[in-house]
Amino acid sequence: MTLDMSIAHMGEALRAGTTTARALASDALARIDARDAALNAFVLLTPDRALEDAERADAELAAGRDRGPFHGIPYALKDIYDTAHIRTTCHSRLRLHNVPSADSVVAERLRDAGGVLLGKLATHEFALGGPSFDLPFPPARNPWNRDHITGGSSSGSGAAVAARMVRMAMGSDTGGSIRGPAAWCGTVGIKPTYGRVSRRGVFPLSWTLDHCGPLTRSVEDAAITLQVLAGHDPQDAASADVPVPDYRATLQDGVAGLRIGVPRAFFMRDTATAEVLDGIERTIAQLRAVGAVVEDIELPDYALFAAAGRVIMMAEAFAIHQADMQSRLLEFGEITANRFVLGAAITAADYINALRARRELTDAVNAALGRYDVLLTATALSTAPRFDTPVDGVASNSPIQTMPFNVTGHPAMSQPVGLSADGLPIAVQLVGRPFDEATVFRVGRTIEILSGWENVTLPA
Amino acid sequence: MSSSPTPEALAAEFDALMQRAGILVPPARRTTVLAGYADMRAQIALLHGRYSHQNEPSNVFRMDIPDGGKK
Repeated sequence: MTLDMSIAHMGEALRAGTTTARALASDALARIDARDAALNAFVLLTPDRALEDAERADAELAAGRDRGPFHGIPYALKDIYDTAHIRTTCHSRLRLHNVPSADSVVAERLRDAGGVLLGKLATHEFALGGPSFDLPFPPARNPWNRDHITGGSSSGSGAAVAARMVRMAMGSDTGGSIRGPAAWCGTVGIKPTYGRVSRRGVFPLSWTLDHCGPLTRSVEDAAITLQVLAGHDPQDAASADVPVPDYRATLQDGVAGLRIGVPRAFFMRDTATAEVLDGIERTIAQLRAVGAVVEDIELPDYALFAAAGRVIMMAEAFAIHQADMQSRLLEFGEITANRFVLGAAITAADYINALRARRELTDAVNAALGRYDVLLTATALSTAPRFDTPVDGVASNSPIQTMPFNVTGHPAMSQPVGLSADGLPIAVQLVGRPFDEATVFRVGRTIEILSGWENVTLPA
Repeated sequence: MSSSPTPEALAAEFDALMQRAGILVPPARRTTVLAGYADMRAQIALLHGRYSHQNEPSNVFRMDIPDGGKK
């Protein structure tokens, strides 16, 4: 099946003439048709658009116009990315009939790169609540075990990639919404450096914490996708005008001589499962065995990162939704509303002190990354919970360990390293220096090889 | 902000904040939301008392020069 090929291999097959973009799109749509009724990853399929994109991609290749590694590749978008003339709901009753007139920058760049849009994906409402059963669309389910949640908020993105319906799905990450579902669904998920990918045309949850990035089947797929997405957008106030390197140039360079810091206190809380800890220790041992220098480090208390992130997120989210919270509260899903209203209780001093903490914490992570090339820690302290025991990803006892790097803006990637005894994915998180996603990918590719994850298959 | 108010004081504080914000929390949800508030308030307490006047927030105002100062 062509969909089991990497993005690079799909590209080779397209250029060799052994497949077509139309065949790739048709295969993907057929697989979605066969699998998604059980998983609810998609809230909207766009088959006409997909075939239109695919036929254009085929015609261009035939005419000698090659748009690069993403030319002819099927993908899907979390339903908070504006898509011109295609409904964009934020998985919410409040925006059920919203049809944007223009593409988000991400959608535009993927289209310009020759990508083939398959449809829009489930999310936790407005990228925060959930999983919820009182919304216009059902929550996505975990392909490894449908009784378990995907994590969120990029829930459909995690499910679609893990279920092999698509090699790449866009997510967004404000406190872990790419890395959380990536960890619990067994995919790669990278939150690039703040400012690396334009947020324009993506419905905000928290302006200063929001990041756009892909969930993919492999590290190389993530590198190829980020190559398309990265770059300055002068109309996004947070966008950084920083050169974009070739992310694949150093992908296979290995880790010999690289220095990796492990903030062990982050994940040694008593809630971490033994299997998660084993996954981290096994990864550390494998990295050492191929020449990396791996050392424990200390960072400020994890609780301070979590507190700063939650206050910033909830205050900014409330500012965005204040009018609707006052007048249309019951139109939100209950979980979403219960979380958003807390933003109304945050004082100016709370918010300012969170921003002071943000400066302190960012300086501390930068200092650590002055001594180490990357940091390695847990993405989540457990495997995916069951639907009947969901978690609040921003509560103080959340098992998701991703918020620190939304607060500091550093690039951070989750990737799977194995399965638990009950067949659910276990992941680690890599954190890089600002705008050094290339080194994150390099270490990630090494872990991908050493862990044997490429040979792990989803149960039939 | 005291770090550990009584449950009654916490509930009164929450109700006042919701009223000030113009938010009407349905009575059936109040217990759940109040528990979330208690959890968040404990986190907020970690952020207070750490900084002096010299500690600026991360997003201090920065004056951008129109047209990059080319004119």
